[in-house]
Amino acid sequence: MQLSLNWLKDLVEIPKSITAEELGLRLTMHTVEIENIEKQAEKFKDVVVGKILEIRKHPDADRLQLVKVDIGGEKLNIVCGAFNIEVGQMVPIALVGAVLPNGMKIEEVEVRGEKSKGMLCAEDELGLGNDHSGIMILDNGAKVGQNLGEFFKLKDIIFEVDNKSITHRPDLWSHYGIAREIAAILGVKLKSYLASPFNREGTSDREGKVILEVKVEDFDLCPRYMAVCLDKIKIEPSPKWMQERLMAAGARPINNIVDVTNYVMLELGQPLHAFDASLIGTNFKTNDSKYKIIVRRAKKSEILETLDGEKRELDEEMLAIANGGRAIAVAGVMGGANSEISNQTTSIIFEAANFNFISIRKTAQKLGLRTEASMRFEKALDPNLCEQAIRRAVELVKKLCPQARVVSDLVDKKKFSLNQGPIELNLDWLNKCIGENIEEKQIKEILESLGFEIVKDKNLLGITVPTWRATRDISLPEDIVEEVARIYGYDKLKLTMPKVEMKRSEINKARALESRIKNILVGGPSLTEVYNYSFVGEELLKKLNLDSSSYIRLANPIASHQTILRQSLAPSLILNVKTNQARYDNFGFFEIGSVFSSISGEISKDDKSEEKLPYQERRLAILVAGGEKEKVFAKAKGIISYLFSSFDLDVTFSLAETRSGWTAMELAANILVKGKNIGSVLGLDRGISKSLGIKKEVVIAEIGIKDFYRLIKERGEKQFKEYEKYPPAMRDLAFVVEEKILYNDIREEIENYHKFIKKVELFDVYQGKRLGKNKKNLAFHIVYQADKTLTAKEIDKLQQGLIKKLEKKFEAKIRNF
Amino acid sequence: MQDKLQQFRQEVLDSLKSVKDINSLRGLETKYLGRKGELTRFLRGIAKLEGEKRKVIGKLANGIKNELLEKFKELRDSFEGTTREEGVIDVTLPGKKIEQGHLHPITTVLNELEDLFTAMGFMVLDGPELESDYYNFKALNIPEFHPARDIQDTFYVKPPLTPPSQEGKSNEKSDLLMRTHTSPMQVRAMQKYGAPLKCVVPGRVFRHEATDACHDSTFYNLEGLMIGEDIAITHLISVIKEIFVGIFKKEVKIRVRPGYFPFVEPGLEVDMRCMICGGKGCPSCKNKGWIEMIGAGLVHPKVIEYGGIDPKKYGGFAFGLGVDRLAMMRYGINDIRLFHSGDLRFLEQFLSHTT
Repeated sequence: MQLSLNWLKDLVEIPKSITAEELGLRLTMHTVEIENIEKQAEKFKDVVVGKILEIRKHPDADRLQLVKVDIGGEKLNIVCGAFNIEVGQMVPIALVGAVLPNGMKIEEVEVRGEKSKGMLCAEDELGLGNDHSGIMILDNGAKVGQNLGEFFKLKDIIFEVDNKSITHRPDLWSHYGIAREIAAILGVKLKSYLASPFNREGTSDREGKVILEVKVEDFDLCPRYMAVCLDKIKIEPSPKWMQERLMAAGARPINNIVDVTNYVMLELGQPLHAFDASLIGTNFKTNDSKYKIIVRRAKKSEILETLDGEKRELDEEMLAIANGGRAIAVAGVMGGANSEISNQTTSIIFEAANFNFISIRKTAQKLGLRTEASMRFEKALDPNLCEQAIRRAVELVKKLCPQARVVSDLVDKKKFSLNQGPIELNLDWLNKCIGENIEEKQIKEILESLGFEIVKDKNLLGITVPTWRATRDISLPEDIVEEVARIYGYDKLKLTMPKVEMKRSEINKARALESRIKNILVGGPSLTEVYNYSFVGEELLKKLNLDSSSYIRLANPIASHQTILRQSLAPSLILNVKTNQARYDNFGFFEIGSVFSSISGEISKDDKSEEKLPYQERRLAILVAGGEKEKVFAKAKGIISYLFSSFDLDVTFSLAETRSGWTAMELAANILVKGKNIGSVLGLDRGISKSLGIKKEVVIAEIGIKDFYRLIKERGEKQFKEYEKYPPAMRDLAFVVEEKILYNDIREEIENYHKFIKKVELFDVYQGKRLGKNKKNLAFHIVYQADKTLTAKEIDKLQQGLIKKLEKKFEAKIRNF
Repeated sequence: MQDKLQQFRQEVLDSLKSVKDINSLRGLETKYLGRKGELTRFLRGIAKLEGEKRKVIGKLANGIKNELLEKFKELRDSFEGTTREEGVIDVTLPGKKIEQGHLHPITTVLNELEDLFTAMGFMVLDGPELESDYYNFKALNIPEFHPARDIQDTFYVKPPLTPPSQEGKSNEKSDLLMRTHTSPMQVRAMQKYGAPLKCVVPGRVFRHEATDACHDSTFYNLEGLMIGEDIAITHLISVIKEIFVGIFKKEVKIRVRPGYFPFVEPGLEVDMRCMICGGKGCPSCKNKGWIEMIGAGLVHPKVIEYGGIDPKKYGGFAFGLGVDRLAMMRYGINDIRLFHSGDLRFLEQFLSHTT
C-alpha cells in the first residue's frame, strides 16, 4: 500500500518540525514498518525538459534519428528511435547518470558510430503510464532545462507499507487509518471526518420517480448494503488534484466516477462500487425507473464477465450482486462488465457494502482474483464505514460533477452487531505485562487517542473498543496491552531479566548425540557436512531404480526436482558427488536429517483424536567418493567402525541379502552392532552412476539416529576394568582359503575356539596370482591370555588345535613365516 | 665360541669409536650386522650347537646383538640429528598433512545458540518437520481462512495413503503440511511439559515461495518459549539482547518495533543493524540499514490454552529467530541458496570449529 504524505496532511496536523523520514521512522516504531519513502521530485532527479532543435537521419541506420536538444545552457546530441517528434517540441530528456523509475540506467553510448548523451523518454519509461507509442510530448508550460518533477509539480512524498504487515488491521488500509495512528504517535489532532448526509434531491432526468430496491438474502455474508442512485452524471476525466492523489497512492485514474470510488477507498478504506444504472434497471412504462438489487449466493456455474474482461464461473459458495435476473458483480471482489461505467453513462448506483471476510477470501482464492477491494474486505471491515464512505462519494461526485443529483433514497439494509466490550483492564496487570510502570494518565491518553473510550474508572478500567477495531482485531485485555505498549514505545522500556527458580534443564540426549556424531565425523574421518533439501524428484528416484509410489507427495510443489518427501538421505547425497567431482579427487560427505514415510508414526496429529503424523525419523548418511572401488568401500566401513568405536561400540559387517535399487551387486554389507543390523554400507552401481553422469566410485552408509541412540543407552555407563594380571602372548597365523569364505565366519570361529583367545585382529589380506585362482590369504594376530602365565608349549598346543580346526572347517592352508 | 663372541663385540665397539660420519657407520653396519655380516655367521654357528651349550651361548649372542644394535642406533641418531648427508632439516617445512572436516555453518551457529540457551536453563527440543495443520496453524490462533495464512505460503502434502487407483484425481491437499515455522512446538511443548517452561526449538522450516539470493524454500528457525508467572515484554527484550551479545560477542544495535503474529499478543519484531553496510543501506538489508532477525511477543492466551495451561495463571514470551540470516550476517554470506548447494567450495571454508 502506498500512502501520500500530502493526503495524510489533509487528515491530521503533522508538525512542520517532523520530516518525512522522522514520520516514517515513528510509524515503523509504533505502528507498521514503512518499507520505503520516495520523494516524487527525486524520482526524476536527472530528467529535464529539453527543446528539440534539430532532427537528422542517422547516417548508418534507417530506424534511428539524430536529435539535437537544448536543455538550457547545453546542447546534447541524442540518438532516438521514435519518429513522433518535431523540431520545436518540448520533451523529457533523461541525462547521462539518470536512473529511470523502470530501473533503466542512462549512460553515454555510441550507436552505430554516433555518440548519444542521454535519452528522449516515452511515458512508460518514466513510470507515468503504459504508453510506449512514442516520445512524451510536454505541453506549452514546460521550460527548457526545468526538472521534470518540478514541471509535473510532483512534490508529494510516498510512504510504502508491506500489505502483509497489516493483515490484522482492517483500519490501516487507508489514509485516514494511518492518519489516526500518526495523531496518536505524535500526540497531535486528528481532523474529524464527517461527510455531510444527503437527501434525495429530485427525480430522474425523465422526471419520473426512481425506486431503488435492495434485497439482502443472507446477512451473514452481507451484514450491510447501502446504495444510492445519482443522475445527470457526465463521465469525464477527474480533475488533476484527484488524479495526482490517486497516482501517488498507486491507483490509475480512469474516469471521474470510478476515480471517486477509488479515492474514497484509499481515503477511508471502504471499497465502493459504481454500476451504470441504465444497464441494470428495469424501466417502467411510465417515466419511473425501478432498480432492483439482490445480494444472493451465485448459482452453480453461473457465468459473469468481470471488469477485467475475464469470463468467470461462479458457484454457490460465492456471493453475487444481481439485478432481477443476472449477476452484475462478484460481491466484494470485482464488478461485472455488464454494468460497467462507460462514457455513455448518465446515471449511476453507488454501492457501499460490508461482506463476510471469510466468504470474500474464499471467493477471491477460488477465482484467483485478488483486488484492492477483496484485500480490504477479507480483513473484516467495520460495517459503520459504509455510511461515511457513501456520503463522501456523493459529496465528491457533486464536487466533480456539480449538475449531478441524488435521485433515490439512500437504501441501507443491515444486520450486524459488533463486540465493542467494554474490556475490563487491570492497570497493575497491564504494567506487569509490559514490565514498566506507565502512569494511568498516559495509558488513558494513548487509548483515547486511538479512539478507545474509557467508561469506568478506579483501578479497573472499562474500555470500549472503537468500531473500526472491533470486528476481529481487539477483543482481549492482551490486545489493549499491545496498544499501550507500542504507542508508548518498545525502545523506551527499561530492560530487566526474568527472575526464575533455579532448575536443571533436561538435556535432549538424542539431539546431543547428533551433535557428537557430527563432531566425530568432521574430526578423524575429515568428512564435510552437507544440508540437502527434504524434497526429491521422481526423475532422480527413477534413475536410482527406486519405486516412488509409496512416497509422500507435495500437493503444491514448486520445482519438478522437488516433488516428494525423501525416504532416504542417499539420493541427494549421490547428486552432491556430481556437483564436486570435477574439482576434487577424493571426498566424503555426511548429512543428518529427517526422512519421511507414509506409514503412521508416533507423534500425534492433534490432541483431540488418536490420529498420528506420518512416520518421520532422523538419519545419518555418510558418503565416500573416490577412484578405487575397494578402497572407497573400505574407507566407508572404516569410518563406520571409527564412529561406533568412539561410543565404545564394536561394529562388524555381514553380507547384505536385500539391497536398494541403486546398489552394486558386489558391494553391499550390513552394519552389525551387538549382533543387531542397524544399517548398511552400499556401493553405487556403475551403470547407475553412468546414467547420472557420476564419474567416481561412490559408497554410502545410512543409519537411523534412534537406533544409534538405543545402542548407546543399552551399552550403559562406562566401567573401568582392572588390568589383566598375567601377560598376554601374541601369535600370528596366516592361511589361504577360498575367496568366498567370509572373514566374519573365520573370525567368529577363531574367537570361539578357546576362552584364552582374547583378541583376534586381521592385519593383512592378500589376493593375487601367486595364491592361485579364487584364493585369498588372511593373516591374523591372535592374543592368548589366561588367569595364569601361559607357557609357550600351552600356546603352541592351542594354536595347533586352532589350525586343525580351520583346516577342517574352511580347508585353510597354513602358511609358514 | 664365547671368547670369539666377546672379541667380536670389542672389535665392533672399538671401530665404532673412530666413526666420524654416517657413511662409514653404514659400512660398519653392513660389515658386522648385515645379512652376510659377521654376527649372522656367529648366529648360524650357534644353531648347530646342542642342548645347554646352545642355550647359554644363544643368550649371550642375543645380548651382544641387542647391545650392538642399540649402539648403532644411538650413533645413527646422533649423526642424523646434526649432519644429514642431505643437509640441514628445513624446520619451516609443513608438517604431515592431516585432513580437516567441515561442519555446515548453520550447524555451527545452531550449536552456539543451543549452548547459549542451555546455559540459561532452556531445554532444547526437536519437532516434526511434517506437521499437522492443527499445530502449525489452528493451535497457534490461525484458523482456516485467516488472512495471516497469506504470510506463510505453505507446502501442503497430499493425503499420504492415497491408493494408487485414486492417485490421478487426488490433487487435494491433506491436513498435513511442511511446518512453516518452529512455533508448532510451542503448543506441543506446553502440552508435554506444562508450566513453568523454558525451551528452544531449532529446526528446519519450509515456505512455498520462489527462491532468490535472500529467500529459500527451506530455511532454519530457532524458536524460544518461556512460560511462567509475571513474564513481561521487558524480559523478552532482555533475553533477545543477550542472544545477540552471545552470538556476536559484542553489543549489537537492535531496535524493537510492533509486528504481527497471531500467536503472540503483543507482537513485535526485532531488527538488527545491518552488519554488511553498517546501517548505510545495501542490497542485503534492502537499503533499510536494518535486518529483521526475530519475530516475538507475549504468548497469546488462546495459544496457552491450547497448550493445556491456564492463561489466567501463567503467561509467557516466545520468539522465532532466523538462523540463516544470522549465519549470513555472521560470515558475510550473500546468497542463502549456498547453504543447500552441496558445493565443497562453499562448505570447505567452514571448519569444525569456525566461529
